Amino acid sequence: MKLAAGVLCLALAPLVTAQNVTYERLLHALDEQQNWLTYWGDYGAVRHRDLKQISTANVKDLRLDWIFQTGQAGSFETVPLVVDGVMYLTGGNGYAYALDARSGRQLWIYKHAFPPGRKGNGVNRGFAILGDRLFMVTPDANVVALDARTGRLLWQTEMASFNNGQYTATLAPLVIKDKVIVGISGAELGIRGFIDAYDPATGKRMWRFWAVPAKGEPGGETWLADSWKRGGGSTWMTGTYDPQLNTLYWGVGNPGPDLYGETRKGDNLYTCSLVALDPDTGKLKWHFQFTPHDTHDWDAAETPMLLDLKWKGRDRKVVVEANRNAFFYVLDRETGEFLMGKPFARQNWASELDAKGRPILMKNQAPSPEGSQVCPGLAGAANFMAPSYNPETKLFYFAVREQCDVYYTNAPVYIEGRPYWGSVTRALTEEPEWGLLKALDPLTGETKWDFRYFHAPWAGTVSTGGGLIFAGDADGYLMAFDARSGKNLWRINTGSPIVNSPMTYMVSGRQYVTMPSGSAVLTFALPH
Amino acid sequence: MRITGIAFLFLCVVVALRGQTETDLADGKATFRSNCAFCHGLTGGGGRGPALSSGRFLHGSADDDIKNVIRGGVAGTTMPAFEFEKDELDRLVAYVRTLSATTGKAAGAGPVAGDAAKGRQVYARSGCAGCHRVGAEGSVFGPELTRIGAGRSADYIRESIVNPSADVPEEFAGVTVITRDGKRIAGVRVNEDTFSVQLRDASQNFRMFQKDEVQQVLRETKSLMPVYRSLSQDDLQNLLAYLDGLRGDLNAGAGVKKEKGIR
Repeated sequence: MKLAAGVLCLALAPLVTAQNVTYERLLHALDEQQNWLTYWGDYGAVRHRDLKQISTANVKDLRLDWIFQTGQAGSFETVPLVVDGVMYLTGGNGYAYALDARSGRQLWIYKHAFPPGRKGNGVNRGFAILGDRLFMVTPDANVVALDARTGRLLWQTEMASFNNGQYTATLAPLVIKDKVIVGISGAELGIRGFIDAYDPATGKRMWRFWAVPAKGEPGGETWLADSWKRGGGSTWMTGTYDPQLNTLYWGVGNPGPDLYGETRKGDNLYTCSLVALDPDTGKLKWHFQFTPHDTHDWDAAETPMLLDLKWKGRDRKVVVEANRNAFFYVLDRETGEFLMGKPFARQNWASELDAKGRPILMKNQAPSPEGSQVCPGLAGAANFMAPSYNPETKLFYFAVREQCDVYYTNAPVYIEGRPYWGSVTRALTEEPEWGLLKALDPLTGETKWDFRYFHAPWAGTVSTGGGLIFAGDADGYLMAFDARSGKNLWRINTGSPIVNSPMTYMVSGRQYVTMPSGSAVLTFALPH
Repeated sequence: MRITGIAFLFLCVVVALRGQTETDLADGKATFRSNCAFCHGLTGGGGRGPALSSGRFLHGSADDDIKNVIRGGVAGTTMPAFEFEKDELDRLVAYVRTLSATTGKAAGAGPVAGDAAKGRQVYARSGCAGCHRVGAEGSVFGPELTRIGAGRSADYIRESIVNPSADVPEEFAGVTVITRDGKRIAGVRVNEDTFSVQLRDASQNFRMFQKDEVQQVLRETKSLMPVYRSLSQDDLQNLLAYLDGLRGDLNAGAGVKKEKGIR
């Protein structure tokens, strides 16, 4: 009898033992509603959890449950993973942590060793997991594998030569099958971007997709002379994946120099595009360019969310994206066909999109030596922060930035490791910025409701089965909204601008909401 | 032949130098337009910031003095610190020099005409200290004027007196809160977010509100400062002379924040 009781206790105790997150588990991540196994929470980046404990009825009682202080200054942009009661998160400056997801108590800490002379500061957005291994990137452009049980370093691979800080990395890797897929940052410093796949066991590179094709390759003709060599095209945000189509979707950043287009005349493929790749080989299946020959830094790093919609009476697999250029796009994700594009914020650069989704440019939208006033501003009408989709309301919830800039241009000089912008932008002083949380119908692009923020936000959303949307704003509020009505039901001032997206999970029958803010991880729950 | 060769070489060098200089000045001009013109005017005539066309620079006229100001900003003014590459800074300073070369010692050169002592009396008589502060004297409601002569051109100060709404610094934006019982409370916005707003009223008190507890929060498009258009020409000129001469030290070591939107 004693033995039986022992077995029972073991079964009830939250398992803080060896993790075994197989690819099968990642494929069926939504069968584990209590966990959060990938950066987006699911391969399609829908970011909806059918957790109902915290609901529109009781969210007013939500309160702080625990805080974990990292002590690391800088923008805290991570979205944690939660696997069977353990929270894994990356911090700024090469740090990473494992925590007890119920108490916030630390299980281990990892600090990336920067070689002498390398700057050790920089943001990071999170981990990927496979088996009992965690994968992250570092500010000096390494991919790192850690033992999830101990935080011990297993291998590290340099993605690209650091070159005085020219190449950096910030995103959360994406694991597909037997590959760790990552992207690179640095289009502001004259890099040539790429997407890489690494062997989880050894760190050996398995394929590379160049986000900027070379002369002679397909797409190479969209670059003037040798401009492709410093053509930018960062791949700085995590992609999404459709297992049925075996297709990886990844956003490509802006061309370089950012604000000066004279030396890179042409469409500048595949910058400001969504690329669809075969994850086994890294080969391009199709691409869609949102902003050809961009000169406003409107990269396409925004979340490519995968939805199955009834589109004009027909079941269709689509990818939707609220792009930085202020248009909301719906594309067929099997073919890349443009289905719809509608503005969701103020914009004065495109009079319309043509039948294939290509923008018809308005006058005076290009940066000029005297300055051109253009909406949206450099940071865009949307950015990297995650949207979410609620399958019950069938609405897309996302943060909108309303802000315009004066864009200047000037031929830049290339110096390794230094900004290669081609001039600057300045915010309009006579018109303050503001923002919105917006609920949009992806079938029509129409707004169902919105909620106004005082400042332009940098925080995403998560949707729950309790009928709630959690969102953050630039003044530090974490808020809960009724997904149907848009009514603000709960809020707390976290004391620091929120620069990432909330997530939710469950351990031992209790639902939690986590929001990193400032240098702290804040986790909320209902009172016991 | 040999002499011709040298002459030819010399000619080439001169042409190369001239070409480079023109390109440099064009680059310097572009840098000036996108970074400096916003405050100092497109041709350096001044605006929010002092004129740069007089050939007289407040913090020293040597190239290195000007570079130090650009790199370090000016404490107690809205002049931020800029990060430029060495070459870029050289070209910018070379261009700034051409501004005074072309406009000569025109507007802004030398001290402002008028009697500063009389101007001080105008300042006292007009109640300026009810809102402004010079040194230890006055109110913190409006902008501090202890160093106003160092940070603003005379034209800018003149306009601020006769038409204060022409340019209202963001940190002195006016806000009016209408309470549920219809009271209007006006003040300078100290802080504001999605759910709350904090003001400083003319009595120098903080007034703090939750937005869901009031009727309305209005952003004033006009300055809270009264228009002083009824001052006589002499009074205005004397007041300007007084204000232009205010170049006192603010608390030492005050950091200069990078102005929002300027990189």
